[in-house]
Amino acid sequence: MTRRRRAMLEKEAAVPEPPADAAASSEEDEAPEEVTFERARAAAETERKRAGETARRDRELLKEKRRRREELFKEQKKRKLLPENVLEELTSGPQINNNNLSDTTKQGENQEESENKNEECNRGQDHEGKKQVVRLKGSYMAVRLKDHDLTSQHQKMAQDFIQSHLYGPGTNRTTANQFFSFANKKSPVKKAAVQFVNKSWGTEKKQKAKQFKKRWMSMKMVSSV
Amino acid sequence: MGEFQVHRVRFFAYVPAGIRCVAHSARSARLALARTDGALEVYNFAANYFQEKGIPGHETRSAEALCWAAGDRLFGAGLGGDISEYDLEKLRVKYSLDGFGGPIWSMAADPSGTQLAVGCEDGSVKLFQVLPDKIQFERSLDRQKGRVMSLSWHPSGTRIAVGSIDLLRVFDVKSGHAIQRILVDRRPQGLYSRECVVWSVAFLSDGTIVSSDSVGKVQFWDSEKGTLLETHPVSSSAVLCLAVSEGEDSIVVGTSEGAVHQFQLLLVKWGSAERKWVRTKPFQHHTHDVRAVAHSATALISGGLDAQLVIRPLMERIDGKGYDAALRKFTFPHRRLVSCAKKAGLLLFQFPQHLELWRLGATNSAGKDGDILPVSRAPEHLLQLKSKGPEHICCSCISLCGSWIAYSTASRLHLHRVHLENGSVSVKRVSKVPKLLCSAHQLLCSADSTSLFVASDQGAVHVLKLLEPGGCGHLQTLRPNSGSAEAVYLLAASADGDWLAAAGGDWEINIYSLRHFKPHCTVPAYNCAVTALAIHPVTNNLVITHSDQQVFEFSIPDREYTTWSRKVQQHGLHKGWLERDTPITHITFNPKQPAHILLHDTHMFCILDKSLPLPDDATPLMNQTSLKQLSEKARRGHAHAFKICKKYQVRVLM
Repeated sequence: MTRRRRAMLEKEAAVPEPPADAAASSEEDEAPEEVTFERARAAAETERKRAGETARRDRELLKEKRRRREELFKEQKKRKLLPENVLEELTSGPQINNNNLSDTTKQGENQEESENKNEECNRGQDHEGKKQVVRLKGSYMAVRLKDHDLTSQHQKMAQDFIQSHLYGPGTNRTTANQFFSFANKKSPVKKAAVQFVNKSWGTEKKQKAKQFKKRWMSMKMVSSV
Repeated sequence: MGEFQVHRVRFFAYVPAGIRCVAHSARSARLALARTDGALEVYNFAANYFQEKGIPGHETRSAEALCWAAGDRLFGAGLGGDISEYDLEKLRVKYSLDGFGGPIWSMAADPSGTQLAVGCEDGSVKLFQVLPDKIQFERSLDRQKGRVMSLSWHPSGTRIAVGSIDLLRVFDVKSGHAIQRILVDRRPQGLYSRECVVWSVAFLSDGTIVSSDSVGKVQFWDSEKGTLLETHPVSSSAVLCLAVSEGEDSIVVGTSEGAVHQFQLLLVKWGSAERKWVRTKPFQHHTHDVRAVAHSATALISGGLDAQLVIRPLMERIDGKGYDAALRKFTFPHRRLVSCAKKAGLLLFQFPQHLELWRLGATNSAGKDGDILPVSRAPEHLLQLKSKGPEHICCSCISLCGSWIAYSTASRLHLHRVHLENGSVSVKRVSKVPKLLCSAHQLLCSADSTSLFVASDQGAVHVLKLLEPGGCGHLQTLRPNSGSAEAVYLLAASADGDWLAAAGGDWEINIYSLRHFKPHCTVPAYNCAVTALAIHPVTNNLVITHSDQQVFEFSIPDREYTTWSRKVQQHGLHKGWLERDTPITHITFNPKQPAHILLHDTHMFCILDKSLPLPDDATPLMNQTSLKQLSEKARRGHAHAFKICKKYQVRVLM
């Protein structure tokens, strides 16, 4: 056991070790006799230097990484924004608009702007709407979010309510499958259920049945063997 | 070689919208009907159930409840939260008023017709006063929890029964307080039970409340004590609507399975005075939910999401076999949705939100009568025009040469110039359409495609001139001498471009001279709705069909009925002809045979041959198949004026 430890210590001495470690090990055991003071000091010094260097390099790397990420963010942000020419047009837009528009529309615009709270995005929207002819080739429409207010929300909720109560779960309606099957059975010409007449219907059920059959057969085989 | 080439056009994929609510007015014998796309229709029962008026739909506005009040005024309310009055003369919404209670589920007018009660989403019942030219908020009854799904006035006008979720309430109108609260039981179902929606209630004069709910029961309650009197399980799914007859001895209910049931108040035993509600007759005319029913004096009326309006007469209330005694089903509007450019072989189909332009198929081969010819060129879909905005298209037309397309929504008239050059289609919108003050109800192009006639409010017809590179200008406005207030809904122009006939909502037909832009004369009044008009290209006789199946011919140059028309009136039309149920929706003429008039309705196509004798009641009306088996000579002896073909099913336009 002691021999093994000594061999380990020797190895540690051969490989320059961090000073803290050395201190720890010196606390644990007696100091190695073979290592001279100069050598040890030189080793410790180089070690310290190296540690400092690695730390600096790490810091630099981290810095680089951060910078790169920041650049990436910037790029992404830029990509999310509109293309360059559009941005330019947007920035130059207000002057053109103000020159071209008649007084009444300008007033209306001013009113709108004063009404709007978050001016920044709204102004952009407004100009988009106004300059429809210039830039927007498709038939787009600029809509103010203000117009889609509480009433339409209430209306939507009411419609959802009626939808769920007419067609939702628990309405006890017959399914189309049941309905047509029943009709087939009641008609003077008797036919099988629609699920079996129409190939496209009930595929899920058929799949399930097939799988069940397979499993059952394999089970039987296993039990018989 | 057959006489005609028949194109079977089976690519008009028009889907009528489902019926949401109906309101019957016994006083004026009219039925108002609202569809799920917001369109409104008025049927006149006195004029053989003709669809008299129509207001085009709107994306955001659809009526959830309709009622007649203060005479013949029609009110509607919807999930948008607005109460609106409809202007039935100008065919539009007159005004709308916010109810300030969220979406409106139900509305009912009090028995005297001076107050409207409105049930809102927030659980309040609001009363509105009906004033001569508007409605005004009066007050609100005590607000309770839960949306008000249905309400009904007591015939005395002092109480209101309200159906909400899981319960019924009775309000005293004077004090505004709820005086009774009745719980409706839910359907027992697993661990949790689903809330029970009272879809419809009715308050009878003896204080009984009838309710129909989503559990599928029709229940009778005592409003004084709040106790259950009777329960009738009607359906395994919901019972969506109910209506009571005026005498309160019959109730009609509609279920979500498409069945309609009748309940009757019958004597329990012969001789005893005790009476009981008994479920008597089931009817299954619909394939989908029946969301609206009404009870007229003689018939059960039901409208379903399958877009069918069914009028089922009650035999015990009708004496004798008459026009009222037949079952009526209406699916398609009694209006022109297809227009045809005869010279170019184009068809224009009108849908609620867009127009489609198709080129007819062609064949190079010729066959015998009754042969099916091979199609050498398949019909081709050339163009689809989408209308912008939430308003639906109310009318459209294409010129005979196929180069102009006009359509109109409730607020705007649109005109397009179409260029068709060897296969390629290009459309140019005419930008400067003169702004007409009022909406267009019918459009028609003149035969030479130089002018467009726009039927408008107050009997006026605007004449627009179509200019060649793609422009137009307002030329004249024709107004009748009589100064009628109703909108014009039918137009007919003569082939030579001299005459224009216009029929308005008061069934007056005015004839204008287009040469002088002056009223020429009016056709003698006839007290039934006009269903179709056409002017003969050669003789300039105006052919008029009415909803009671009468056919008149009026000579425009002579300003009188023609001798043939007088002969028809003296002789009387065939009984079988008069008993048909659908109105004639289109009239046209055979250019090779000036004596022929071609008529059609939804179920049949008829050639009226003026040179042949009229049939009397003893001879069968439908004799074409039997005539085919006779020899040439015998055939001539048996032939009569009406040659009817029922081969094709649903015909919207020929």
